[in-house]
Amino acid sequence: MIGRTSAVVLLLLAVPALVGAQQAGPQAEVTALRERGRYGDAIAAARRANLAPALGELLRLTGQWEEAERVLRRATGERRPDSLLVVLELALLRHERGELAAAFRDFDRFIDAYNTARSLSSDELAAVGVAVQHLSVADPELARDALRAYDEAIASDPGNTEARLRVGALFLERYNGTEARATFEALLVRDSTNPRALLGLAKTARFEGSRRALELVRRSLAGNPNSVDARVFLAELHAEVGDYADARQELVRALAVNPRALPALSARAAVAWLAGDSTGYTAGRREVLGLNPRYAPLYITLAELAARHRLYEQAARFALEAVTLDSLAWRAHALLGINELRLGRMESGRARLERAFAGDPFDVWTKNTLDLLDVLERYPSRRSARFRFVADAADLDVLEPYLSPLAEEAWDRLAARYGGAPPAPVRIELFRRHADFSVRTVGLVGLGALGVSFGPVIAMDAPSARPRGEFNWGSTLWHELAHSFHLALSGHRVPRWFTEGLAVYEERQARPGWGDDLTPGFLSAYRQGRLLRVSRLNDGFVRPAYPQQLGFSYYQASLVCELIAAERGFDALVAMLRAFGEGRETPAVFRDVLGTDLDAFDRRFTAWLEERFATQLAALASHGDAQTGPPTRVGTAERARRNPGDFFAQLAMGQQLIRDDQPAAAVPYLERAKALFPEYAEDDGPYRLLAQAARQRGDLPRAAAELTAMMAINERAYDARLELAEVVLALGDSAAALRALDDALYIDPTELGVHTRLAELAEWRGDARLAVRERRAIVALDPADPADAYYRLARAELRAGDRDAARHAVLRALELAPGFDAALEFLLELRGERD
Amino acid sequence: MRAAAIALALGVAVPAAAQTSVLVVSGLGGEPRYQAAFRATGFAVVDAAVHRLGVPPARVRYLAEETAGDARVAARSTKENVAAALQTLAGAAKGESLVLIVFIGHGSARGGEAYINLPGPDLSAREFAGLLARLPTQRVVVVNTTSASGDWVLALAGPGRIVVTATRSGVEREETLFGQHFATALATDEADRDKDGRLSVLEAFEYARREVARVYERDQRLRTEHALLDADGDGIGTLEPDVAGGDGALAAVTYLDAGVGLTVGDAASDLAAVRDSLQRAVVALRGQKDRLPAADYERRLETLLLELARVSRELRAREGRQP
Repeated sequence: MIGRTSAVVLLLLAVPALVGAQQAGPQAEVTALRERGRYGDAIAAARRANLAPALGELLRLTGQWEEAERVLRRATGERRPDSLLVVLELALLRHERGELAAAFRDFDRFIDAYNTARSLSSDELAAVGVAVQHLSVADPELARDALRAYDEAIASDPGNTEARLRVGALFLERYNGTEARATFEALLVRDSTNPRALLGLAKTARFEGSRRALELVRRSLAGNPNSVDARVFLAELHAEVGDYADARQELVRALAVNPRALPALSARAAVAWLAGDSTGYTAGRREVLGLNPRYAPLYITLAELAARHRLYEQAARFALEAVTLDSLAWRAHALLGINELRLGRMESGRARLERAFAGDPFDVWTKNTLDLLDVLERYPSRRSARFRFVADAADLDVLEPYLSPLAEEAWDRLAARYGGAPPAPVRIELFRRHADFSVRTVGLVGLGALGVSFGPVIAMDAPSARPRGEFNWGSTLWHELAHSFHLALSGHRVPRWFTEGLAVYEERQARPGWGDDLTPGFLSAYRQGRLLRVSRLNDGFVRPAYPQQLGFSYYQASLVCELIAAERGFDALVAMLRAFGEGRETPAVFRDVLGTDLDAFDRRFTAWLEERFATQLAALASHGDAQTGPPTRVGTAERARRNPGDFFAQLAMGQQLIRDDQPAAAVPYLERAKALFPEYAEDDGPYRLLAQAARQRGDLPRAAAELTAMMAINERAYDARLELAEVVLALGDSAAALRALDDALYIDPTELGVHTRLAELAEWRGDARLAVRERRAIVALDPADPADAYYRLARAELRAGDRDAARHAVLRALELAPGFDAALEFLLELRGERD
Repeated sequence: MRAAAIALALGVAVPAAAQTSVLVVSGLGGEPRYQAAFRATGFAVVDAAVHRLGVPPARVRYLAEETAGDARVAARSTKENVAAALQTLAGAAKGESLVLIVFIGHGSARGGEAYINLPGPDLSAREFAGLLARLPTQRVVVVNTTSASGDWVLALAGPGRIVVTATRSGVEREETLFGQHFATALATDEADRDKDGRLSVLEAFEYARREVARVYERDQRLRTEHALLDADGDGIGTLEPDVAGGDGALAAVTYLDAGVGLTVGDAASDLAAVRDSLQRAVVALRGQKDRLPAADYERRLETLLLELARVSRELRAREGRQP
């Protein structure tokens, strides 16, 4: 029994001869022609063979709705073996035209057909699947019945490719990428060029965030250049990355095949809207709704593409339009909820998502996000002048004393630089689990990023979400806040490459050492021609061609901003931001603001990069003496001797000598390596090793200098900062020690020992406010001896002049340890009862 | 830990110190880094017992893998020597006194039996339970810090015994951190959470358990050790004991340090009784914290604590102590 039951059995009365209807002869020919996009020939063949369902489908797929209806209606009056398939085609036609009530009445009949028929052919079972799949929009459980019908269709005829394709599409529609991929891949094992299987796999790849989508859809189109679905999909891929001309071209070709293709018309309207063509958008929207007044996917397409371009407010508005048109458009409910959450409207966003989930419990994005909201609800929040911070209580207590001043400082500095600011407050969420941050951002786990800015909302990993040394949460926060400024100042129209480059550039302005640095890998990619031209730099973010390209693109984009700032001033970057906000695309912005075209800028950028990094490029050049096989002491020494200008050869020799406990001998090699590639400041690099060598010979000032230089480059070097603090303290420079330890807190604020050292140093230097901050952090970190921690905090509070806070803290100490003599005495002291 | 110093300052007897005996056994390391680590932990426990807990050196016995090079090691940590040491303890430790036994090293669980790896034949939990029968009247605290030590709880459980293990079962076989943090608990003031100057088994256990958890969390590693405490002798260990009841309550009133049996004048005794009463009142008020309005709670707490502070000040003055 499938789905709901009905007392009226309409269909089977008319289909006594259904059993054994198999696809063969003319049907096979029609299918083959259709699969390769030869629709005209397929229509002719279907007419010749009187294959009404196939003919009806082909006419519908080519926009000949009236003719399709005529053919199908005529067929319904005949006693035909394929009448069930005719009913389906008629229902699909009605559905496409927006005659939803009639379409669903027809789909409903298939349930009874299935439940009462003695047997159905494979094609009929697949038809039941299609009908039930459509019905599942109102009753999500029916999706399982649809799958069962498809499975039975395949069991009845293992060669039923249509049923297998439907299974794959059903899995994808229900957010099961793994099963969808397996299904399409199995089809491709049988027919490696099957265009629809390739398209299904391409769509699955996009769902899973794989970069193969583009390649797969192109392969699909090679098999069927007239596939409207594939053209629309490709157009959307282009539109996602802002290639509107390419998108339009694909849609022209799609509409040449089917001028009434609603997905193509919707995508055309969306591309017009994205490109700022309001006339084109209005006309496109009118055309779609003229053909199907209840076509919610128009607005769903708009909402999805708007969100891809970070136009969240507009995405929410489009999604609202979609649910207004069709209250069963669950995807639209979900998009509305997700985008409201991105805008910080937590209550209404949650309500929308709950509605979406009730309608479509398969939507893993919605499910994950609702689960995440349960987590977020348990998170406390704190306010500062321009921010609301939300994080796990344990993280927030520790972070807040650093978070709030840093965010406020960033706001002030960015507002001064850009001459404007986003609406306050900005909501900053810090997630203890990276998976939660990932769900907040993309609905699924597995996102590699550290943070994301939606404009009014910033989500990022809390320091506790990643192993120490993986990232600097301070620079990440600064970076994301810079995005919020860029989005606000450009009306969310700044392209990804520009805002990322500018945000990294801002990190560098914030603190010495923050922001991405030059790496040997970046210059190697440059030399191999694997970096993107500025005109294509956005691809490096939204469609990276190889795993490292994303990281390289961040750095490259920051260099582009650096070059512009150096030659045209920072105001030019602000002007570019505003020009993007006016809807201009990258070439126009370069032309209008910088007075150059992209080709010329690319040439200038290349020349600048070659000049700026001439030493490093030469140091990485092949010296005809590359390392082959496992390194040996002799080989390493010989390589270093023969290649004094080779960074890696010099570094390897320096490292080897350090390992061999010959620090004095290592120094010249490490010095050369540092001069050849000064940006290389990893723990195994010249700075750290030179510091080590200096300490071994007792040269603490030199060690301090090397570590200070390293800190000015590497924002993640935690241990080096602690080592620097130790060295400069030994040199009597407590201020420098404080700076180094404070700096380390932006990498990992959870180490009790660092806070204790900072507190003691602050107390020793008489910096009462800093001592209070650190004593508070110690209490927040759940120390082994909490009573003692509260007692010391109480003393610090009193020294800072806050008697009430001191009283509160000492009461906490004594609440835990009523026998704590020193704290009892301090309580009396606070009351003025001196011993 | 201030108890021993206080006692010396007053020139009074510290009878409980004389009642405490300590046996430390560190097993086979297998490789140099473990040998060094086990030995270091063993010495840390021994030194803490003498210098912080106030146990006379004669009552502290350390059996280690290697005996050479340090007079603190009494003998090799073979099964026979462990048995002999227990026999000695049985002869020396009086009834009602406390015997602390700490195992350090690699553990294993095989064939339904739990072992500590020792030079020569390994010692099983069951065998050790048999040896403990020689201490029928003493209060025995066994702390097994080895890997796969969880099954020792059931094997050793009994009246008058507290058993602590580094792991919750024989399945947790990875190297443990519990031992070094337990040693730190014995050696520093940090573990004395209630600041009463004494270190209870519960405080030491809680300190080590929390610090182990902190390390795993900091390093973002999956936790492979979950310490157990069984104090009521039912053979069921508790992962997070509560001072309010069960294993936690019993462990909270069992002290590892030398008890401070201060003998002072009657007036001071009366004051001490008042002080103790006020401390109990604070603890009782703390139990009502969630039920009382915050301001009311704070006011009552401060009133009690001020009274306690004044009484404590007077008591210290009579005892000639500094806070």
